[in-house]
Amino acid sequence: MELNAIVNAISEKCPGSILKQTENHGINEITVSAQCFYEVMQTLQGDGCGFDMLTDVVGIDRMPRAPRFDLLYVLLSMKDFSRLIVRLEAGEGQEVPSVSSIWHSANWGEREVFDLMGINFSNHPDLRRILTWENFDGHPLRKDFPLEGKDFDKPFDTKTVKDYC
Amino acid sequence: MLTEYLPILYIMILAVLFGAGTVFLSHILGPKRPFKVKEEVYECGLQSEGAQYAQTPVKFYVIALLFLVFDLEAVFLYPWAVYYRNLGIFGFVEMMVFLLILLICYFYVWKKGALEWD
Amino acid sequence: MGLENQLVGDNVLVTSMTKLVNWGRANSVWPCTFGLACCALEMIASTLANFDISRFGSEVFRPSPRQSDLIIIAGTLTKKMSVMVKRIYDQMADPKWVIAMGACASCGGVFKSYSVVQGVDQIIPVDVYIPGCPPRPEAVLAGLMKIQEKILTEKLGQRPDVLSGTLQ
Repeated sequence: MELNAIVNAISEKCPGSILKQTENHGINEITVSAQCFYEVMQTLQGDGCGFDMLTDVVGIDRMPRAPRFDLLYVLLSMKDFSRLIVRLEAGEGQEVPSVSSIWHSANWGEREVFDLMGINFSNHPDLRRILTWENFDGHPLRKDFPLEGKDFDKPFDTKTVKDYC
Repeated sequence: MLTEYLPILYIMILAVLFGAGTVFLSHILGPKRPFKVKEEVYECGLQSEGAQYAQTPVKFYVIALLFLVFDLEAVFLYPWAVYYRNLGIFGFVEMMVFLLILLICYFYVWKKGALEWD
Repeated sequence: MGLENQLVGDNVLVTSMTKLVNWGRANSVWPCTFGLACCALEMIASTLANFDISRFGSEVFRPSPRQSDLIIIAGTLTKKMSVMVKRIYDQMADPKWVIAMGACASCGGVFKSYSVVQGVDQIIPVDVYIPGCPPRPEAVLAGLMKIQEKILTEKLGQRPDVLSGTLQ
């Protein structure tokens, strides 16, 4: 689908929500504002735009920048196989509405972003850690997280992971 | 008359003695240090959840038996297919008769309702 | 407590019994079917006909830790997985031995990271370390021969882990 048609469809529903639109390696990308993010995603999934698949949810930490995180939602339309990247800037501690009610595949993707980046998603059905263990302290892919972890110089005990051992 | 079978008996006695002997020896010689984690059910290293002794429906028995019977017939088809050219028309007819018998059994099983789950 | 713990001293019965038992143990070290990462493939390769681990009586990879004497930690041990490894080791029947195979299992390897255990000796006692990334199957066999050498020098009822009682 043409980028112009997508932009028109979105600005009909929620005007002024598209902050920026670019094209990179033949893939369109739009930056949307946080206020009507969920409505924009609903429009994109609806019949007008037809992006019926969410391939990936990516979080980027741009630490010195003021809204600290970038969230990328990679969408794919199964009808004409066009892709669209939706970019959302999120500050630290800001809650982002979960899109797992629109695309079910967002469930685990958002859990991964929550686990590694520490971005909270509101209305997520099951926001638990998915890659690290339950009582892990910190979010490993944040830029201020030490690579070795916090207790690197101490001997490792399995009880820190799970206490039944 | 039966004396020529005696060596077989000797070997059987020897085998039983060896098996029982090694099990007994390792039983009295092996160190035993039971503790809580060691005595729990082995679940690939995970903590087991729920009851370990679950009942299995008896229907699985019929399905497994039928699978065994009809699956093993395929084993006979392989050597037949490999040697088919040399067997000629006789081999073809022979195998068709075999398959016909199998097909009759299959329909019998079907008619009896053994393939239905409920 | 088995008879093993009563067999102390240096009389002729104990020493000959020790020799017999150690001979049996050393020539039937059954490993646990257990692999973590790329080292596991080299471990599998060492069981195949080219390298033939069955020369040493170790071809029987047991699917249950209750029947195995040796666990080869083959690969990177993440902290999340360490719970399972500790548990499997705990559930193995005594006497038991451990080989840390490869750089990752021995010391964390290249993964100086928050998610990787820096050497399995932090959670279970290791008998033999095999260097390499991954070690060749010959190195696995060499490690196995080292285990056999170690078993042959052991005294009944005086294995260090039994004496210390720390492995509970």
